[in-house]
Amino acid sequence: MLILSFVKKYLLPRIIQYVIVIFIGTTVVFIIPRLMPVDPVQEMINTITQKGTYMDPSAVEKLRESLKELYGLKGSALSQYFNFWGRLFKGDFGPSLSQFPTSVTHLISVSLPWTVGLMLVTILISWIAGNILGGLAGYFNHTRWAKALENISMLIRPIPYYIFALILLLIFGYVIPIFPISGGTTVGLRFTWSWDFIVDVVKHAFLPALSMVILGAAGWFQTMRLVVSNIVREDHVLYAKAGGLSEIKIGFKYVIKNAMLPQITGLALSLGQIFSGALITEMVFSYPGIGGLLYNAIISGDYNLIMGITLFSIIGIATATLVIDLLYPLFDPRVRYR
Amino acid sequence: MKFKKLIALVCVLALAISVFVGYAQIKSTGPVSRTDTLIVDVLSGRVLTPDNFNVWVTTWRNPDRGIQQLMLEPLWIVDPATGKVINALAAETPIYNNDYTKMTLKLRKGMYWSDGVEITADDIVYDVQLVKAKEGLSYHTEFNDYVNKVYKTDKYTVVFELKQPNSRFHTFFVDRWGAFRPFPKHIFEKTKDPLTFKFNPPVSSGPYILKDYDPAGYWTRWELRKDWNRTPTGVLYGKPKPRYVLFYYYGPPEKKVLAQVQHQLDMTDLTSETLRAILNKNKTSRAYRKEYPYVVNVDPCVTGITLNTAKYPYNLKDVRWALTLAIDIVEEIGIAFDGMATMAALHIPPTPAYTKWYYKPMEEWLKNFTLDIEINGKPYKPYDPDAPLRLAKYAKQRGYEVPTNPQKIKEIFGLGWWKYAPDVAAKLLERNGFKKDKNGKWLLPNGKPWKITIVTGTNPATIDYRNVFAVAQLWKKFGIDVNVLTTETSATLISNGNFDASGAWPAIEPWGGHPDLYRTLRAWHSKYYVPIGKEAVGHASRWHNAKMDKVIDQIEKLKWDDQNNIKLGMEGLKIAVEEMPSIPTVLYPGIVAWDEYYWTNYPGAENPYCMPYHHWPNFKYMLPFLKPTGRK
Repeated sequence: MLILSFVKKYLLPRIIQYVIVIFIGTTVVFIIPRLMPVDPVQEMINTITQKGTYMDPSAVEKLRESLKELYGLKGSALSQYFNFWGRLFKGDFGPSLSQFPTSVTHLISVSLPWTVGLMLVTILISWIAGNILGGLAGYFNHTRWAKALENISMLIRPIPYYIFALILLLIFGYVIPIFPISGGTTVGLRFTWSWDFIVDVVKHAFLPALSMVILGAAGWFQTMRLVVSNIVREDHVLYAKAGGLSEIKIGFKYVIKNAMLPQITGLALSLGQIFSGALITEMVFSYPGIGGLLYNAIISGDYNLIMGITLFSIIGIATATLVIDLLYPLFDPRVRYR
Repeated sequence: MKFKKLIALVCVLALAISVFVGYAQIKSTGPVSRTDTLIVDVLSGRVLTPDNFNVWVTTWRNPDRGIQQLMLEPLWIVDPATGKVINALAAETPIYNNDYTKMTLKLRKGMYWSDGVEITADDIVYDVQLVKAKEGLSYHTEFNDYVNKVYKTDKYTVVFELKQPNSRFHTFFVDRWGAFRPFPKHIFEKTKDPLTFKFNPPVSSGPYILKDYDPAGYWTRWELRKDWNRTPTGVLYGKPKPRYVLFYYYGPPEKKVLAQVQHQLDMTDLTSETLRAILNKNKTSRAYRKEYPYVVNVDPCVTGITLNTAKYPYNLKDVRWALTLAIDIVEEIGIAFDGMATMAALHIPPTPAYTKWYYKPMEEWLKNFTLDIEINGKPYKPYDPDAPLRLAKYAKQRGYEVPTNPQKIKEIFGLGWWKYAPDVAAKLLERNGFKKDKNGKWLLPNGKPWKITIVTGTNPATIDYRNVFAVAQLWKKFGIDVNVLTTETSATLISNGNFDASGAWPAIEPWGGHPDLYRTLRAWHSKYYVPIGKEAVGHASRWHNAKMDKVIDQIEKLKWDDQNNIKLGMEGLKIAVEEMPSIPTVLYPGIVAWDEYYWTNYPGAENPYCMPYHHWPNFKYMLPFLKPTGRK
C-alpha cells in the first residue's frame, strides 16, 4: 500500500514530467536551429569553394537542389519533424549535414567518451574537494587556515577560465614542459589496454582536468563554506554543542550533512551538463570532445548534429533531475516524511 | 552510509570511464623520430571524421591533412609561385577539337597506385562514369552537364565527348586547392555505396601512404612510398626527403607558437602578431621573407571589400568610386596588417606572375585612366603609382627596415593603388544628391543618414576581418556612419544579398598559375545574376555589365593558352576598374612560419621554387627540395 502510494503520488508524476520535458525540449531543439539565418547547404558550398575549389557557376544551383535532397531538407518543416521523430524512435539522428553522410551517432560516439571521461572525473573531484574544504572552512571559520583557503578561493574564482587555462598551459607546457600542450594521446602510441596507454591518456588530460578542478573546486568551496557558516549558527547546532557532543560529530552529522542538500542538487545538474561539453577547455588544450563538435555544428548549420548533441544534453539534465528527485528522500527526511 | 556508497560507486565509474576513454581502434607503429619526420599544421583544424579518406563526396573531409598534399596526384596542377601549370598524372596539356566538343587526355605512363596497380585510362573512364551516375559525389552536376561520353582509345588515352562546347573543360581536373582527382577503379568498383565508403586504408597515387591517424582527429601521419619513383612527384622532382610527414593541429595561433618554439611544428601559418612573437622567441624560425614585411606574395587571392551592387546606393558607380577614393591604402594596410601586404589596384592578385602578365602591361593605362569628373578643369586621374613608396615610408616610421630602391619597394608593396582623395570622393557623392550634415556626417539624397553595415566573419585572424575593420575606420573618418557586423552567418547573409558591404573577396580567384582570367570574369556574367533574396550563383557583388558579358563570351571561344586571352583579360579588367563593382585592397598576405631546426631549404622569397604553403596540394613537390639538418 505504501509502495503504491509512493508510485502514484511521487514516482509517476515525476516520470510524466520527465517525459514531457524531453518531448518539449526535443521539439524546441528541432525548431531553434531552423530559425538560425544559416543555410547548411550554402555553408557547405562556401566551405568547399572558399578554399579555392572551382565550382562551375551554372552547376551551383543544381548542386544546391541535390544537396537539399540528400540532406533531407526538402519538404515542409512538419514532414521533416515527423521524419525526425520516426528516426529518433529507431535511435537514429540521421546523417550529419556538415560531414555527410557520416551519421550523427557516429560523430557523437567518437567525441563523447573524451568529454565524459574528462568532465565526470573533474566534476566529481572538484565537487568532493570543494565541499570537504568548504565544509571544514565554514565550520572552523575563525581559524587561520580557513581564512587562507577563503582568500585563495576568492583570488582564483574571478579569473576568467580562458586566462587561467592559458596560464597553466604556459607554465606546465612551456616554462616547465612536463605536460603535452595538445591532443588526447601521443602520436604513434598504440591504443591498447596497457599501462602505458592509460598513463598517456591521463598525462594528456592532466592540464585540462587541473584547470577545471581548481576553478570548479573554488566554486564549490565558496558555496559550501557559505551554507555551513550559516548552519553553524542555527539552534540545533547550538543545542548539540550545549549537549556536549564532539566537534567532529556536530560538524559532519549536524552541519555538513544538512549543508549537502543544495550541493547534491548542484552536482546532479553539473553532471547532466556534461553532454554540452567544455568548449573553451577543448579549444585551449586542443583536447577532443563534444564541445568542439557542437560548435562546428552550430557554425555550419548542421541541424541534425545540433539536435543529436543537445538531445543528449536535454536527456542528461532531465535524467539527473529525475534521479536527484528520486534520491532526495534518502538524504532529506522531510521529503521522506511527506 | 548509503550516500558514501553512492559517492564511491560514482568515483569508480568515473575512473573506469576515464581509463576506457578513446577505446582501442587503430594500429600505430611507434613514436615520432624528428630526424626523418616533418611536422606541419592542419590549416582547417581538427578532423571530425578522421577514419574517412573518401574526399570525392560533396562534403568537407579536411583534405589538407595530407590527403590532397601527399596521398593524391591530380591530372594537372597550377603553381602560383612559378606561374606554371604542371602536368602531373597527365602526360601533356589537354587536346581539344576545333569546336571544343571533344577533349583528349593523355596519361603519363608508368604511374602506379600505392598497392601496385597501374594508373590507366580505365581509372579515369570509370571515375567519370561513376561520378555521373552517383548523386552526392563531387562534380556530379558538372560532369552530367558537360560529359556526353567518356571512353579510352588505348591504355593511356581518354576521350571526353562533350554535350556542349567547353574550351576549359579540363579545368575541372586542374588542382588549385581542389579539383577532380582520380581515384582507383579497382578499389571503388568493389564498394556498394561510394558515398558511405570510407576508403580506409586509402590507396595513394601520390608519393606517401597513410601510416596512422588520431581517432580524435588531431593528427595524421604519412610515410614515403617505397615506390615513390612511380608517382608524378618522383618522376618530376625526385625523392621526397622526409620519410614521414606528420600533420598536426595544435589549435589557435598561440598554441602553434608554443609548438614551434619547442621544435615540434616545422611549418605553420600564423597571424602577423604571432609571427613576430615566434621570430623573437625562436632563432631557427623564419617567415616567407627573411626580413620585413615577411609575408607570402604568391597567394592567388585578391582581398578587399565587396559591395552589394543590387542595392542602392551601391548600384551607383560614382558611389563605389567615392568609397574607393575615401580609402587611404597606406593607412588601410597599416591598420589591418601593420604595413605587411602588397597593394592590389586590379581585381586580380598582384603575384609576380600576374604582375608580369597584367599589372606591368597595364601600368600606363592605369596611370592615364580618368574618372568622368573634372578637377581643376582636367579629367581626374585616380591612380597613384607612388602609394607603395608612401607605404614604405610608413613602415620606416614604424621602425622596420625597408629597401630604399623604388623598384625593390614596388616589388614588395605593389605597383600602385588609388589616390586617397576625400575631396574628389565628396564631389562624386554630391553630384548624386548626397550632402553632409552640420556634424560632417554624410546624408543620403533623401536626407536620411547614410549608414553602411559591413558584414564579416568572427575570426579576427582572418584577412577579411582585418580588411573590414580597417576600411570601416577610414569610411568613418570620411563621415559615413559605418557599423561592422561580425557573425558566423556571414556566408549565408552575403550569399543571399543581405548586406551593404562585406569582406568577401572582391573578385573570384584566377587559376593562380595561368594568365587566363575566365574563372575571375565569368562570375560577373549577367546570366548568373540573381536578385537579392536568392542565393548568389556568380560573384557576391551581383554586379553585371553588357560590355563585360561580351568579353567573357569572347574568352569562352578561345583556347585557354591562346595569346589573345591576355588581351581580352585586360579588357575585362579595364571594365572592372571603370565600374569598380568591388574594391580590391591587397594580395592575400599569407603568413607562414618555418622552423629550420630540423629542415631547411623551404621555398622562401629568396628561392620561390614552389608554392610555399604546406596546405596546398603542391606541397608534395616541395618535399624533394627540403634538406635535413641532421639534428636529433
